Amino acid sequence: MKKQRAFILSGLIPALLLVLAFTYYPFLKGIVMAFQEYKLFDLRSVHFVGIDNFKAAFKDPKFIMALQNSGYWVVISLFFQFFLGLTLALLMKKQFRGRGIYQGFVFYSWALSGFLIGMIWKWMFNSQIGVINDLLLKLGIIEERIGFLSNPHWAMFSVIIANVWYGVAFFAIMLLAALQSVPSELYEAAVMDGASGVRKLWNVTLPYIMPTIIATTLLRAIWIFNDPTIIYGLTNGGPAGSTHILSSLMLDKIIYGGDYGAASAIGIIMIAILLLYTIFFLSVTKAEKAGEF
Amino acid sequence: MIRRQKVIVSLLCAVLTVGLLAGCSGKNGNGGSGDKVTLRMIESLTSPKRTELIQAMITKFEEANPNIKVEFISPPFDQADNKIRTMLGSDEQLDVLEVRDLTVAEFVNNGYIEPLNSYTDKWKDFATVSAVSKSVGTVGDKLYFVPNGLYQRQMFYRSDWLKEAGLNPPTTWEELYDTAKKLTDPAKNRFGFSFRGGAGSNGTTDAMILAFNGDKVNLDDSMFTKDGATIYSTPEAKAAMELYLKLYKDASPPDSINWGFQEQVQAFTSGVAGILLQDPDVIQSLQEKMTEGTWATAPLVTGPTGKALFAAGGAGWGITAKSKHKEEAWKLVEFLSSPAENTKFSKDYGLIPIHSSATEDEFFKTGPYKTLIDMSNKPDTFVNYKPAFQYPGTGQWGQVTMETGQSLLLGKSNLEDTLKKWDEYWVDQKTTLKQ
Amino acid sequence: MKLRLLGVSKFIYLAIYLLVMVFPLYWIVITSLKPQKDIFSFPLKYWPERFTLDNYVHIFKISKFHIYIGNSLMIAIISAMIVLVIAILSAYVLARFKFRGHKQIMLAFFATQMLPGFVALAPLYLMMSSMSLINNRFSLVLMYTVILIPFSTIMLRGFFQRIPASLEEAAMIDGCSRWSALVRIIIPVMLPGIASTFIFAFVQNWNELFLAVMFIDNDALKTLPVAMNSFIMKFDVDWGAMSAGAVLSILPTILLFAFAQRFIVEGLTQGAEKG
Repeated sequence: MKKQRAFILSGLIPALLLVLAFTYYPFLKGIVMAFQEYKLFDLRSVHFVGIDNFKAAFKDPKFIMALQNSGYWVVISLFFQFFLGLTLALLMKKQFRGRGIYQGFVFYSWALSGFLIGMIWKWMFNSQIGVINDLLLKLGIIEERIGFLSNPHWAMFSVIIANVWYGVAFFAIMLLAALQSVPSELYEAAVMDGASGVRKLWNVTLPYIMPTIIATTLLRAIWIFNDPTIIYGLTNGGPAGSTHILSSLMLDKIIYGGDYGAASAIGIIMIAILLLYTIFFLSVTKAEKAGEF
Repeated sequence: MIRRQKVIVSLLCAVLTVGLLAGCSGKNGNGGSGDKVTLRMIESLTSPKRTELIQAMITKFEEANPNIKVEFISPPFDQADNKIRTMLGSDEQLDVLEVRDLTVAEFVNNGYIEPLNSYTDKWKDFATVSAVSKSVGTVGDKLYFVPNGLYQRQMFYRSDWLKEAGLNPPTTWEELYDTAKKLTDPAKNRFGFSFRGGAGSNGTTDAMILAFNGDKVNLDDSMFTKDGATIYSTPEAKAAMELYLKLYKDASPPDSINWGFQEQVQAFTSGVAGILLQDPDVIQSLQEKMTEGTWATAPLVTGPTGKALFAAGGAGWGITAKSKHKEEAWKLVEFLSSPAENTKFSKDYGLIPIHSSATEDEFFKTGPYKTLIDMSNKPDTFVNYKPAFQYPGTGQWGQVTMETGQSLLLGKSNLEDTLKKWDEYWVDQKTTLKQ
Repeated sequence: MKLRLLGVSKFIYLAIYLLVMVFPLYWIVITSLKPQKDIFSFPLKYWPERFTLDNYVHIFKISKFHIYIGNSLMIAIISAMIVLVIAILSAYVLARFKFRGHKQIMLAFFATQMLPGFVALAPLYLMMSSMSLINNRFSLVLMYTVILIPFSTIMLRGFFQRIPASLEEAAMIDGCSRWSALVRIIIPVMLPGIASTFIFAFVQNWNELFLAVMFIDNDALKTLPVAMNSFIMKFDVDWGAMSAGAVLSILPTILLFAFAQRFIVEGLTQGAEKG
């Protein structure tokens, strides 16, 4: 028994120690700033201000807009990433010639950095010199150039497209792996019962891979919500703040405003939202099914 | 079996390598060996080519001063100021740093950088440093950095387009609007003006409002008129902004509402837009990418009173307050700022040199740089003012104008409200500064 | 008949998808092969008139790309390896034992995924600075390792749970200690899962930008993403260099993906076996 305890401890200590020291400790220090006036312009007068930073955030129309946008950003991105990823995985389940190469070319986007994706899409979306407008014009789909990043009606849509493009691969890889593990006996039994293709999908496949679906959508939603890099690279929140999400607004406060107090307050609000989301998500999907947590 | 061992061996190797790495990481060359001093220096306006030029100067300096070693840090431009701030706020050694007109107030306010007056008093070449260069590096009555070159806005235009349309380069904002409008043909993806509504949009709005206000502006406190009101509160400001709106709607690419520096220049080099207002360090990029003879430069355009107000901007070398080697650091700054080095650097990189003697050089009297000299020869038309870099809100101002300006361009807010917001912003800045 | 129709529509779907995914890649590759002047010339050229390797030569000449690639490879691989060692241990323990604090520890790992990293950046810098760990490749290895431990633990724990405990119990009855059972019996069976965790970690490390900018000063220690970021200048983006750099930075990850494709899918399959 003692031996087992030693084993547990020695197995966990390196991971726990590192995470506590280098993630939680600096993070807690960062959180303190949310209750301070902490501006880089005047570090000599850093002082506690209670919840002023939070009050200021909720009064700021930019924050409210970013809050709304975060919702669109996560829900729409997640829906399409998941839906396209799932169909792709279903279609790729059966071996076909060249599947290996095909995988390489449709999955590589997952290996790119958010910064690079932002740069590439910003360049392609440019309405004057960008290739997307040029293509659409040549193909006769549009007659006038579209301001993908300058027109507030399009801008949010455009950044979401880039994000979907990036993230489909994640779901496709994960779900493809899960699909390949569905035992064939289950299908055989379903066929004997006379199930059609759609019924098989609904009654056999989906329930079987449900744990993977739950785990991946939960994590992915959190990552999408937290990652400002694609927006930072593409529009930096513009025009007129119409594409800011909470995480990009926070980055903006740090890089351009030097206002760590305001940034940290937004950070805390973000965590609160994610906690609520996780609790809600896990209770709706019945956590035990996820297996992972 | 073999496969298994391989895994274990490679994992072991990894752990060992890290151990080694950690072992030999005692860097920070200052380990007291002999008299050799190591200076650490950081730049802000990084580009690969510029880094190479500065590095070459440093090598020369090290050869002349064998007891000083310089470690040069070049963070990417995009992140540089943020990194410099973070380093200044920690105990990392930093001796010489590139201070920008945009960051100097913040650094002074936090006591990060050292006034240089006691050093320049003893510097023989200081006499030839131009008054404008001194003023750019000064906060209050102290000099905090010696600029490494100046930027000053001028006009770039497609001479072939203007010729084709039988037009002359515009000299006033009204003319600029008319010319740009005539050049615009969306069907051909051609626009008159390379507008910038994204980052740095205040470069255009402030320039127009200042030019329209003309003589009313207090040149030493340029966000305010001589009566003490902000420049945004005058009827002239409204007229300027009305023209600004027309310029965007009738003569600029719609996409440009979200353009920053890079897109603005790209539009000009790629033949989408015909007129560009920019600083001289863009010249080399134009020379590389465009065919000779298709473009030319002209002075800034003036407002209705026949005046154009302009400010020189710049970045330069300063010394940190925490530096333990200030004498050596100054030696380096002095070397980099010497007439010989600075003139060469300015030529190679395309800036206005800081020594007035250097503008006599043939290089600046011909070609695209000539316009700048022409402008400085007409001080009645092209009036130099001191930008408001001493206010804490200067750094944020670009962001504020960008967002409110964009919503104005989009028609989400009206002109009166926008100007009122800007007016309030600066009234507020004034009161905080007074406290 | 119905089957053929299904086959055709499947083919079309996959083809369109391929096109959408590949086009940006194609666009970067041909841009990297265009001479500077042609990159922004109008009308846009979908096939370069003149091919040149200038952009590639350029990035090795003006910036020391071979050094950055070397640094990135080293940091990404070493950190991914250490992550594996640490996360295999913690994941195994969390998968096999129930003990007090078990749930809290899982939660602590999971919660790290929710923390917006930028809040911690400034305090982290101060902390590393006070330990003299700035401007040191080791500090990047350390940071990257820390960041990846929680997710890797969660992922690997999933794989361990799929392997029947009877496997190592049998070995232990034969006289193996738990350690050697883990190393000799379990890990080999888990190789695909370990490979996919490794690839995930490698890709994250290979792309990381913000920490690398902050923590590294010397040019000789810089990583690839930082060097690429340097092509964004005050007035200009050097698109020739940027696209050439992008192609070089995508290459290893695509190779890794292609090479390990079977591994990944196999590995994840294992993880997803059993609900």
